[in-house]
Amino acid sequence: MWVKDSSVLLDRRRFIATVVALGLSACAAWRPSPEAGASATPMPDRAWANAAPWPTLAAVCAHLLPSAVATPGAEAFHALDYLHNSLSDRRADASDWDRLVAGTGQLQQLAQTQQGAVFEQLDSAQRESVLRALEADASGQLWLSLLLTYLLEALLADPVYGGNADANGWQWLQHQPGFPRPPADHAWYRMAAVTGQRRQKAVG
Amino acid sequence: MDHDFDVCVIGSGAGGGPIALRLAQAGKRVLVLEKGPWFTEKDFFKDELACCRRSVYTPKLSDEQHVIEDKNPLGEWIGTPTSESGRDFWNGNCVGGSSNFMSGFFHRLKPVDFRLLSEFGPIAGANVVDWPISYAELEPYYTMVETEVGISGRVLAHPHAEPRSTPDFPYPATAEHAFSARIDRACAALGVTAFPVPRAILSRPQGDRRSCEYSGYCGSYGCASGAKGSARAALLNRAIASGHCELRANAKVTELSSDAKGNISALAYVDGDGVRQRVDAKIYVVACQAIESARLLLASTGPRHPDGLGNRYRQLGRNLLFAGGSEGIGSFYYAEMDPGEAAALRQRGPFINRAVQDWYTFEDPDFGGRAKGGTIDFLFSHPNPIGRAVNQIWDNNDEFLVWGQPLQERLQRVFTAKQYLRFEAFNDWLPNDDCFVGLDPGVRDKWGSPVARLRVANHPHDLKVGRFLADQAARVLTELGAKEIHTFVTGDPPQNLVAGGCRFGNDPKTSVLDRHCRVHDVDNLYVSDGSFMPTGGSVPPTWTIYANAFRVAEQIRAAL
Repeated sequence: MWVKDSSVLLDRRRFIATVVALGLSACAAWRPSPEAGASATPMPDRAWANAAPWPTLAAVCAHLLPSAVATPGAEAFHALDYLHNSLSDRRADASDWDRLVAGTGQLQQLAQTQQGAVFEQLDSAQRESVLRALEADASGQLWLSLLLTYLLEALLADPVYGGNADANGWQWLQHQPGFPRPPADHAWYRMAAVTGQRRQKAVG
Repeated sequence: MDHDFDVCVIGSGAGGGPIALRLAQAGKRVLVLEKGPWFTEKDFFKDELACCRRSVYTPKLSDEQHVIEDKNPLGEWIGTPTSESGRDFWNGNCVGGSSNFMSGFFHRLKPVDFRLLSEFGPIAGANVVDWPISYAELEPYYTMVETEVGISGRVLAHPHAEPRSTPDFPYPATAEHAFSARIDRACAALGVTAFPVPRAILSRPQGDRRSCEYSGYCGSYGCASGAKGSARAALLNRAIASGHCELRANAKVTELSSDAKGNISALAYVDGDGVRQRVDAKIYVVACQAIESARLLLASTGPRHPDGLGNRYRQLGRNLLFAGGSEGIGSFYYAEMDPGEAAALRQRGPFINRAVQDWYTFEDPDFGGRAKGGTIDFLFSHPNPIGRAVNQIWDNNDEFLVWGQPLQERLQRVFTAKQYLRFEAFNDWLPNDDCFVGLDPGVRDKWGSPVARLRVANHPHDLKVGRFLADQAARVLTELGAKEIHTFVTGDPPQNLVAGGCRFGNDPKTSVLDRHCRVHDVDNLYVSDGSFMPTGGSVPPTWTIYANAFRVAEQIRAAL
């Protein structure tokens, strides 16, 4: 009965401590536009996926949850669409976006130092080596845990949010979803708009 | 003198709902002010992000938060704002309050719970007292809740079953999982009784409410069928339909004003547009859930109440209670069963609905003889998949992260190889001097009011009882043939099972409320949520909160 997910919160707590310590919040870069994510469905134009930091994030996500026979990987369950939708929502924690961007920069620095190339150009073993080296650093580990958390949300949240494509995450893990399932106009970030106008007429 | 309303209720959850319904039914003019928004069945979906991973039904911590004190290694209490710690102490801030999101495991307190001091004697460091009323006095209201809120169940005799004035529940038990019969057999083999857990969930339709649709997702989720007995679905909708109750959502009460006599003259609230409003009524009822009720009374100073309403003897906010307890888990591997049995065990929807109260009181030399124990509820692991998956990313005591194929193999094992049966044990959270609500001197909410500052220490005795109950529950899991049995005892407070802070009693020097839950020294102010409880019992408190609020409603009706 005392169900309250502390996993995200725990990660967030660690993050806040680290971000404050490192002054990372100043590293804000381009942020997706709020309007883009409001539709909760993949944009027909995925031009954003070619702009930094998305190619780097795509490569990291594909390494963290790779595709295999009968196993949908990050690409197959549309992890990037989920991330893009989540982080461009106007109610999203802006600092999560800043953290993801800052971590991507840290990763690329390490890739250059250790392997002499950008992360996307490395082979699987080199990527693993860079990511494990990143994990040895406290802020790097926190960045990876945040990304993994978002990835698992992308794998198992309702497909209305853009991930879990055609429910392939649920099918892979034989998960039986509940019902009724959320329609797009009741995505969590639209709930305030849904209820904002509900008022009772005064009674005598 | 003309008032805007006869009664103004602040808060629309389990403490406020019964007041609004009964007084509206009596033809009184009732206003309910609710800080949060107004969701209905049409807004509730089985969406893990909305229910459990984003601040949809609770405030953003940057807008509204708490400050929680922890003891540092030097023994000093250090307060940390929850916006920094991420330790969220909100439970459901919307019309109907957290009753929208409860699991609805409903147990009555037992006669011994009303006489904890007399029955078991004092415990050093604990502020144990008897209640000013008896079980017999509350019993008719427990029965009333069965009908008014809607409780489904089946009475089964067991050694610690409490007396009832009716033979059985008005609604038959909700559908049970095939595994429940296995628990019955295992308990019988151990000589204990597994009884059906009453649920505040309709097993057949009533009025506008449909019966349970057994989606397999209940606790933490708003109910789309209306079957769950939230104060909104079960009570407030009927109060509003009577034509005598007005409900204003997004209305945050900031202060109760009191006059030279010490009585409440008006209240101030901020509406959804940020406009400051004022309302007056003959009688005011505070029901904001324990922490926020104490906070509002502390913040409402006046000429006769310089330290807050009901705080003449510095009792306000003290003896805050949670549910003490323990939990545990065991695994059942599908590969070790025949296919039919595995398929039955995989089924999601019907409830386990089994509890054991054989150790509600017990004799044990380690406890110096007769002692107070508690309730053990059995249930399947919560089905939320994201929460379950995220628990798999750490290895070696959170030292390393797991990713790639090893993480995928873990996920497959956790999701597809086995079913988990859990237990939750409930025992008293002994009232003590290090568990209380105050006002933080620095941190304010988005309306500029000081936030609640909490100290939430448990008494060591609670852990001892929790361990005792966990050991008994582990025996049941062993008898069931569970593998990988783990039990946990913790002194961390479950923020959703909270009560106390305005205990009721006959002596104004040691209590905040009188036996009718009227604030001592204030003629027209009542507190009708779980704040009144001087001790919490060894069950979740919601049924008791509902029952007492119906009792208080009759007092208010008589006073009008």
